[in-house]
Amino acid sequence: MNGARTRLTWSLILIVGALTVFPVLMLVLGSFSEGLTAFGHFTVSKYAEAYTDPNFFEVIANTLIFVLSASLLSTVLALFLAYLNTRTDIPFKGMFRIISIVPMMIPHLLFAVSWALLLNPSNGLLNLALKQTFGLDQAPFNIYSLGGMILVEGLLELPIAYLIIAPAMASFDVALEESSRVCGAGTWRTLVRVTLPVLRPAILAAFTLGVVRSMASFAVPSMIGMPGRVQVLATHLYEMIATGFATDYGKAAAVGMSVLVASVTLIVVYRALTAESEKFVTVSSRGFRPSVIELGRARLPLFGLVGLLSCGLVVLPVAVLLYTSFVPYSMVPSARAFSLMSLRHWTAVLEDPISLLALKNSLFLAVVGATLGVILSIFVAYVIVKVKSRAAGLLESLSYLSFSFPGIVIGVGFMWFFVQTPLYATIWALLLGYIATYLPYGIRPMSSAFVQIHSHLEESSLVCGAGPLLTMRRIIVPLLMPGIVSGWILMASMFVRELTLSIVLSRPGTEVLAVQILRFSEDGLWGKLSALGMVMILISTVLVILATVVGNRFKAA
Amino acid sequence: MEIRISGVSKYYYAEGKTIKALDDVNLTIPANRIFTLLGPSGSGKTTLLRCIVGLETPDTGEISIGDELVWSKDKNISVPPERRGLGMVFQTYAIWPHMNVFDNVAYPLQVRGVAKGEVAQRVAETLRFVQLEGFERRPATKLSGGQQQRVALARALVAAPKVILFDEPLSNLDAKLREETRKELRAFLGKLNITAVYVTHDRVEALALSDSIAVMRSGRIVETGTPQKIYFDADHRFVADFIGRANLIKATVCAESGGHSIVDCGLGRIACQQRAIAVGAEATLCIRPEFIRIVKGGAATGDNVVNGTIESLVFVGDAYEAEIRVGAELLLARIDAEAHLDEGDAVHFTLDPAHCLLVDI
Repeated sequence: MNGARTRLTWSLILIVGALTVFPVLMLVLGSFSEGLTAFGHFTVSKYAEAYTDPNFFEVIANTLIFVLSASLLSTVLALFLAYLNTRTDIPFKGMFRIISIVPMMIPHLLFAVSWALLLNPSNGLLNLALKQTFGLDQAPFNIYSLGGMILVEGLLELPIAYLIIAPAMASFDVALEESSRVCGAGTWRTLVRVTLPVLRPAILAAFTLGVVRSMASFAVPSMIGMPGRVQVLATHLYEMIATGFATDYGKAAAVGMSVLVASVTLIVVYRALTAESEKFVTVSSRGFRPSVIELGRARLPLFGLVGLLSCGLVVLPVAVLLYTSFVPYSMVPSARAFSLMSLRHWTAVLEDPISLLALKNSLFLAVVGATLGVILSIFVAYVIVKVKSRAAGLLESLSYLSFSFPGIVIGVGFMWFFVQTPLYATIWALLLGYIATYLPYGIRPMSSAFVQIHSHLEESSLVCGAGPLLTMRRIIVPLLMPGIVSGWILMASMFVRELTLSIVLSRPGTEVLAVQILRFSEDGLWGKLSALGMVMILISTVLVILATVVGNRFKAA
Repeated sequence: MEIRISGVSKYYYAEGKTIKALDDVNLTIPANRIFTLLGPSGSGKTTLLRCIVGLETPDTGEISIGDELVWSKDKNISVPPERRGLGMVFQTYAIWPHMNVFDNVAYPLQVRGVAKGEVAQRVAETLRFVQLEGFERRPATKLSGGQQQRVALARALVAAPKVILFDEPLSNLDAKLREETRKELRAFLGKLNITAVYVTHDRVEALALSDSIAVMRSGRIVETGTPQKIYFDADHRFVADFIGRANLIKATVCAESGGHSIVDCGLGRIACQQRAIAVGAEATLCIRPEFIRIVKGGAATGDNVVNGTIESLVFVGDAYEAEIRVGAELLLARIDAEAHLDEGDAVHFTLDPAHCLLVDI
């Protein structure tokens, strides 16, 4: 029994290690090599070149402003929303659930596209409408700017920040605030001296994760930053490997190294912070429900604000894409626009061989990738949760490592590897890359499912007279099933929309949806882009609905 | 400082039903005494405490602390908790986890704008008082339950409040520590000469700590009195039953004589403590197990003498708990651990009228 477990642990360490450590290793080696065809010829010239680039300083400055402001925006908004939801009598609290589920439905790339369609300076819908209404000569807004990038990325990171802060706020012992009131401090002082400091670890964790995610983000920098010539690290890397005729994977690896180091460091900080916030849990209250702050006259305006925000997060992007997919060119909604609507873009996309190939590839990657990913996750989660050895600890660290990998950087690492193998430019390269990079998203729901299966549940079934097989069927599998389903759906929906890794690894013949959408945007084919984007959203949505249905069926059984 | 509560009600609305958490409560809490609100869960005791502190807003009535009216529905007065100048110890202690012991205790002084030097001095004094000297720099969450409790007490006391309130402060401690802390608390409060309002559902705690007790049920105060009065002399069957173990026997008053009320019940004719209950009316006879003194041997006669047999015996360490069968009644009694009795033995006992309590039905 123990021997089998040890063997399982070590073979998993080998597999996961190969998936996560190997690309990093290749990235390091690549950064010291002459070029893809001259792997292993040691040189430091790539570092010298990369870090003395006259543009580099500006890129770093842009990246810092972009990343910090976007995270700040998302954290402050999340804090505000979480407070409204858990502490006040704001109506329709269901709205807050929508805000936290959105990212499952709308891919970041399309979210960025929809804002570009609304607010780009030449023919953004909102800009056109404002120009017409007020007779302006110039478009009032320009999304293609650092400010625009910060706004869109901030909104994109909002749901994650909310999911970190809201539970902390909800489990907050209200007596901590009440005792401050009784001690003589007013509402404001209590907020500043007690509420926010107690929530500090959660707030900082949300902020740090926001920094990591926006540093790795490629959708917003490419869709909104590049047209406005605002370069950040992600797009800087992309230009080195994908544009112009002199692609330089060595230089990209050299720059990628610092992004990787920064990212891994921040994730270490993030994990320390989440551990800290658990330490802050004091004697838990079993008595009173939290007192609700009556908003009074501010109730409706605040509700309106939240409604507007959730509209901007959910309804607007989909509506803009859907609308754009039907009209022949960018125009403000009007009777004429509606009379010109047609399925032209849709039929064009569905007859476009490359788009169809991309669709086929993405579906294949989603179904096969998620299935393989979940199977691997089940074993890894089992070892992490149930085998408590030092090797299991190593496996845990290894499997969460790729959580901190920026897709584009790790893509460069994979590139250095695949180029040496026959896997280069095949769909299998993408498959391996996807599973390696998104493994933590499969492991997390699985391990929380395993945690729920307290060994007493298994044992009591055995004591009740059920054999191991019956116990497996009646107790363990039903308890595990929600985890398996949600892990599969999560991975599949991420694979359908995958962009950052794909732009590095995808080659002619292995196009995927997100890459094809990016191509459409580079060519300014907004109608086709929107039609294909709607297909992508449709697939994501169907997956999420499927997950809910399957999940409910298991609950009922 | 005296607390006067008049006509206070508090309603909750849940699933279309109105729940009366407090139902027209009238109560005067005397100054500089330890006053306990005792009752089962859901009786409204914590709600009443929170109304006094200002964390809960009543729907009707008035509350005044000392000379200050802090809440009045009719006069539209509502003083927020931070301006009531009270101290409170919460059930969870509510020790702020991001502050050390010193900062926790200094907080009430800091928010009142007390000068730094004086803050340090008064915090030191208060920590000495609760025997936590030298703990100033400890992170508050690193303390044991009992120590956290004393930090909470220090924080409640440091600003010299007019009134200190306790919301089940011992319920998170284990049994042994609870008893020690209870004694400590009694000692601390005894030295202070302060009005203390204490909420608990634990009758032993209430009896051991309080100068007076108000027993609550369903949002109402059922009875108020000293611990002795509540235990020996309760007027209400609910109170008599709640405050300690009791044999409750249906009885009918049949006469009054010699300063006793005489009742007929399943034990025969029993002389009880005198009560103003009309002859012929129904009542409940309440006898606590410790006042049933068992003697071996049956067929005894005399006033207030009852014969029975031992139906069961359970050894509980310091005594036996016995069930005595008397006709249709089954009485619980405590028997000395060294009394050599067996199940089935015939026994008799004599009841002291002073310990035969008549309460309403």
